[in-house]
Amino acid sequence: MNKIKKSDATKALLAFVFIALIFIPLINMFMYMDKESINKVVSSAVFGTAIKNSLISTIVSTVITVVLAFALAMSIERSSIKFKKIFSVMFALPMLVPSISIGMGLTILFGNNGILTKVFGMTQGIYGFWGIVMGSVLYAFPVAFLMLSDIIRYEDSLPYEAAKVLGLSKFRQFTAIMFPYLKKPLITVIFATFTLIVTDYGVPLMIGGKYTTIPVVMYQEVIGQLDFGKGSVYGSLLLIPAIIAFILDVLNREKNTNSYVPKRYIPSNRLLNRILAYIVCCLGTVFTLLPILSFVLLSFAKDYPNNMTVSLDNIEKTMKLHAGEYLINSIVIALLVSLVGIVVAFFTAYLSARMKSKMSKFLHLSAMISAAIPGLVLGLSYVITFKRSPMYGTIIILIMVNLVHFISSPYLMMYNSLSKANGNLEDVGHTMGISRAYMIKDVFIPMTKNTIIEMFSYFFVNCMMTISAVSFLANTSNKPISLMINQFEAQMQLESAAVVSLMILMINLIIKGVFHFIKREKHVC
Amino acid sequence: MEKIKLQVTNLEKEYDGQKVLDKVSFSVNEGEFLSILGPSGCGKTTILRILIGLLNPDSGVVLKDGADITNALPSNRGMGIVFQNYALFENMTVLENIEYALKIKKENKTPSRKKEIREQVLKMIEHMELTEHIDKRPALLSGGQQQRVAIARTLVMNPDVILFDEPMSALDVATRLSLRKVLKDIQKEFGTTMIYITHDQEEAFAMSDRIMVMDKAQIVQIDTPEGIVGSPANDYVKEFVVDNIQIKVDSLVKYVRG
Repeated sequence: MNKIKKSDATKALLAFVFIALIFIPLINMFMYMDKESINKVVSSAVFGTAIKNSLISTIVSTVITVVLAFALAMSIERSSIKFKKIFSVMFALPMLVPSISIGMGLTILFGNNGILTKVFGMTQGIYGFWGIVMGSVLYAFPVAFLMLSDIIRYEDSLPYEAAKVLGLSKFRQFTAIMFPYLKKPLITVIFATFTLIVTDYGVPLMIGGKYTTIPVVMYQEVIGQLDFGKGSVYGSLLLIPAIIAFILDVLNREKNTNSYVPKRYIPSNRLLNRILAYIVCCLGTVFTLLPILSFVLLSFAKDYPNNMTVSLDNIEKTMKLHAGEYLINSIVIALLVSLVGIVVAFFTAYLSARMKSKMSKFLHLSAMISAAIPGLVLGLSYVITFKRSPMYGTIIILIMVNLVHFISSPYLMMYNSLSKANGNLEDVGHTMGISRAYMIKDVFIPMTKNTIIEMFSYFFVNCMMTISAVSFLANTSNKPISLMINQFEAQMQLESAAVVSLMILMINLIIKGVFHFIKREKHVC
Repeated sequence: MEKIKLQVTNLEKEYDGQKVLDKVSFSVNEGEFLSILGPSGCGKTTILRILIGLLNPDSGVVLKDGADITNALPSNRGMGIVFQNYALFENMTVLENIEYALKIKKENKTPSRKKEIREQVLKMIEHMELTEHIDKRPALLSGGQQQRVAIARTLVMNPDVILFDEPMSALDVATRLSLRKVLKDIQKEFGTTMIYITHDQEEAFAMSDRIMVMDKAQIVQIDTPEGIVGSPANDYVKEFVVDNIQIKVDSLVKYVRG
């Protein structure tokens, strides 16, 4: 009986560490919100405007994003077109660069002197509302696409076969079968997309112009005015959609208790379907490639738009501005976060998935709550909490905040993976005298190798491109390279900003590529 | 006079206010094949898990060869267990699965012991007719082959008692029949005591020296197959066991040759 108590104690301790790392800073942030700050914010001219702008632009962006992502997901999962893998990679590209790069790419293309502004005969650039919408859609649709693809892919096709036999029209099939199936997960996708967009400052900062949104105001208050009080008020506002999205997600999380294996949908070969799917996918690809092409243009052209000869001058110039050092900062942070993150996430998932008890549920929830906290809010709360600690100003606080910020998804990946493993494995270990340590080393870790690789990839890529939590905590010496983009843009060094964006994209592509090949090699069967 | 291998006295277990085992007492003879037969939820698996130490009873005593093992570690009881879903190590080959538990013991790390163990394991693999699959991972094996690996994995630890938790439920009929023979051969060759959970009356009758019929947390009757058919203890045994067997026999007897 003592053994059980010890594992429960470990779980409780771990749960409290997770909670402490999130709630203590949050509470500190709330305490910073004194009456004066709240009054200053509420009575300021920008307050009402920012809220209105945030809501309208986010709602419009969310609708467009979800519709686009749904169309793309259906094109990939429910048609028989070729090149599906390539299209899927294209749609994922915006996830590999900071949102601020996306915003910058759009300004290069559609700004007042934008490449495409003249092509489309527009008199002025796309700054403001439509710029934000376009940038937000570009930023958020890959995530929505992945979520919807997953949902659509695993839908059981048997009801559709029955419907065909019964002579139901395609429209009826949609309303009777697909829509009920999609309803709940769609709510999760909508709220996740909404939260992602409403809490982002990168896109509106770059292309918002005078159309102010809440994250931008928060960013300006904290970085520009060093007013943590007002920043806290805006941060608390941003928490609202994030927490709602989190609660909905937890409630809607379908436990994988299918008593049958769903039958995979075999797409029809109808020409019309294929043509439509190709059109949608090509449009999606063009959409995602445009900003990236703008980075390439600006990086490798000697002096866009005047001198279009290919040159490496811009890259040299950027490196002279210490980009190399900042890149190394980013890589070091990404590596350390990945390594520590994998160990912590694995250990926690093992405790909650393989050593089930009442305490496991508590641990499970506490490991996921960081998903309810937007990066900006986490960053601000960490500044307030750790300002006087020795970790502040060092790379350690950056590693800490990224760990907390990004751990919930990898944790969930490993939790799901470990849950799928045979339930009697521990019994086998106990009865044959195999210690837990050996079981973990020789059975559970090898079994979940692919998941571990996915977790590493997730941590690394996100650390390379994040600009939210770290923006308030970094200083000149330990800045990750993603934070240089804003700086370069402000100093009118757009070429350097483009070079840096490309660097981040390249490194993330290399990591994803390497891991893709490692995973394929391991597929011995 | 049969030697008693296991003596179980007054086992009690309660879950969520419901009694799963109600003063269960029985003995198991050395080398015998005892089936525990009963419907789902009657306590069969609970008894098994208590016998091998994966579960502690609320009260009661388990004696093995006269020694009290009620609170002994599962790995210190000289017992093995085979599960319905095999629980093999998916990332290891057949060979690695069977030799793993032996390989990692401290006393087996010397080169001479390693060689002995390898020979032992190879012999067992041949015995279980798995030689052609020796380098395959479980995903490439059929259900019957996977169960053979699970049995081999347990056997190679030389337990004197092996527990089986509905090991054939996931297998097709042809595989079940061939595995029945495997188990009976092992019983004959190694003299292993086997305790076998099943809800299949036919299986219990085909394989057992004695059958323990259970219902609602209690033992209803424990006797040889002939004893149960000849004198069922009550209506439950008569309907659940005897009548069921009779129906099966009646529906098939007209097809028997000779």
